[in-house]
Amino acid sequence: MKGKAALASDLARRTEEPQAPRVFRPTTKSPLGPVKIASTVSAVAPLLALLAILGILVHQALPAIKYNGLGFFVHNVWHPGNFYLQPVTTNGVLHPAQAEYGAWAIIAGTVLSSLIALVIALPASLGAALVISKLLGPRVRNALGVFLELLAGIPSVVFGLWGTLTIGPLLSRDIYPIVAKHMPDVIVLRWFRGSTGAGEGLLTSGIILAAMIIPIIASTSRDLFAQVPTLTEEGAEALGMTRMEVTTKVTVPWVSAGIIGATVLGLARALGETMAVAMVSGSVLGTLPTNIYSTFNTIAATIVTTLDSALIDGTGLAVRTLAEAALALMLVTLLANVGARLLVRKVSTTALPVGRGV
Amino acid sequence: MSDESVSQAAKPNEEYMQDLAPRPVESNSANSSDPSRTVIKVSDLTVGFGKTTIISGVNLMLTRGSIVALIGPTGSGKTTFLRSLNRMNDKVHGYFAGGSVLLGEQEVLTDRVDLLELRRRVGMLFQRPNPFPMSIRDNVLAGVKAHGLAKKSEHDQIVRETLERVGLWNAVSGRLHDSPFRLSGGQQQLLCLARSLAVQPEVLLLDEPTSALDPISVESVEKLLAELVSEITFIVVTHSLAQAKRISDHTMFFFDGHLKESGPTAQIFEDPRQPETQYYVSGRMG
Repeated sequence: MKGKAALASDLARRTEEPQAPRVFRPTTKSPLGPVKIASTVSAVAPLLALLAILGILVHQALPAIKYNGLGFFVHNVWHPGNFYLQPVTTNGVLHPAQAEYGAWAIIAGTVLSSLIALVIALPASLGAALVISKLLGPRVRNALGVFLELLAGIPSVVFGLWGTLTIGPLLSRDIYPIVAKHMPDVIVLRWFRGSTGAGEGLLTSGIILAAMIIPIIASTSRDLFAQVPTLTEEGAEALGMTRMEVTTKVTVPWVSAGIIGATVLGLARALGETMAVAMVSGSVLGTLPTNIYSTFNTIAATIVTTLDSALIDGTGLAVRTLAEAALALMLVTLLANVGARLLVRKVSTTALPVGRGV
Repeated sequence: MSDESVSQAAKPNEEYMQDLAPRPVESNSANSSDPSRTVIKVSDLTVGFGKTTIISGVNLMLTRGSIVALIGPTGSGKTTFLRSLNRMNDKVHGYFAGGSVLLGEQEVLTDRVDLLELRRRVGMLFQRPNPFPMSIRDNVLAGVKAHGLAKKSEHDQIVRETLERVGLWNAVSGRLHDSPFRLSGGQQQLLCLARSLAVQPEVLLLDEPTSALDPISVESVEKLLAELVSEITFIVVTHSLAQAKRISDHTMFFFDGHLKESGPTAQIFEDPRQPETQYYVSGRMG
């Protein structure tokens, strides 16, 4: 009886199920183990860190955001208020009487000084990178490369000291007055006229910042230029292009996306640079620069120079305002990054060999 | 279609072969050749780097409208020789050259030569396609713009004509402003050929131009050379003996830094005079 049933079911299985062709699909999931856990954690960590920093910053800044309102980004008065009067509550925020904060001047100062630095550093870095990677022999190339990397490692306070003690006074005594005197009174160049100050200010900061970001942009670009295939450059030479044409039409465009990346790296460093700028900016609060030699301040330098006095504010508004300023700095840096990404996309679609070996 | 173009293309070659049959290309018997048809004349060329001599004592004379194949084992000096003709060896450390290379009446091996103009007259196509990082259109025009050969209003026409010449127009006419790197390898090499042709060279040096291409692309490149040979002299370095046999009128066999033997392709392959040549073309070497 039993055997009959087994036989029947066996027969049924054989006749009813036509065998499907065998398909092998390899498992893509790796088993959960220490390696997978560790790598997942380290992959997620940067994201969590960024979110945590942003979250804490927003939380800290919230009362200041409520109190300062949109005026924070528009006007320039930077007045912590009168600590000797009774604190007042506005919009549900306790604050010293007459307190008023406007960050437009330091936001503009941050962007302007970094842009000046970029205008100086970008051509200088690309020139240095091209000379090092294309014109020099291997021995000199390596020696110069080492110096470039050493330059990148100099602490910013050393740059700041050098700026205040040496370069700033030198420029304001011997160079700035001559430039200011001979610059024509036309658009943009007008900015180079007028009082040249004592050496602390926008242009000096821009120059110091440029010196700090040149090694970053130059060493990255040098590595990029070394990657441009010889075959392609030779093709341009064999077509009868001059060295200049080969460089501008083939070598630089080949790595343009990477150069934009390197530039943003340098720009981010300049935007966030604190110590050196704090030492050569002249640390003036609440006024927009009137010409390129004007004293000014940046967000980062303001935070570091006013933190001490901000802690005196018993209502905490001063510190919270600094947190809001820090948030603004992160926003500016973020905008620069997004802008760079858009630029890279635009450059890449025209002609670049994206992800394709040649 | 292919029959037609082949027979058309074969005509100039046949004429040329008959014309040239009684006189060898080597300059040893240069006095017998017609100087007006001479494109390149190399006399006693020696090339080396540092203390090493790579090739020595090369003599040859090339006439207009021929395809010359350079064959020989790796390291025999074919490419070094080729790159001496448009001075691409110049920037190699320790490069020196002796003897003489005449392009028409112009001595090439002198500092007085205009390198840019020399390279316009003597173009080059490389082992692998090397398009520039610019649009397809700009690739074709790169040399034209660099040498200021045409007005801007003529650029569209040049692009179209040149691409039509290399048989690429239909494939790329709709995406002239796109990246060349999305083209196939064969199309990229044709684009590089178009780029070289756009500056109207007299001589085109080809350094294993089809070694990285598939057989169908190889066929289209070879066909093109045959079509263009009436205007341009081609010097082709190749490791493919079959290709040398198919496309060239004359073959030069390099061995160990010397031009061992040179003559009509048929003679080199069927009746080689030197034992090394015989050994090489029979496929027992290289």
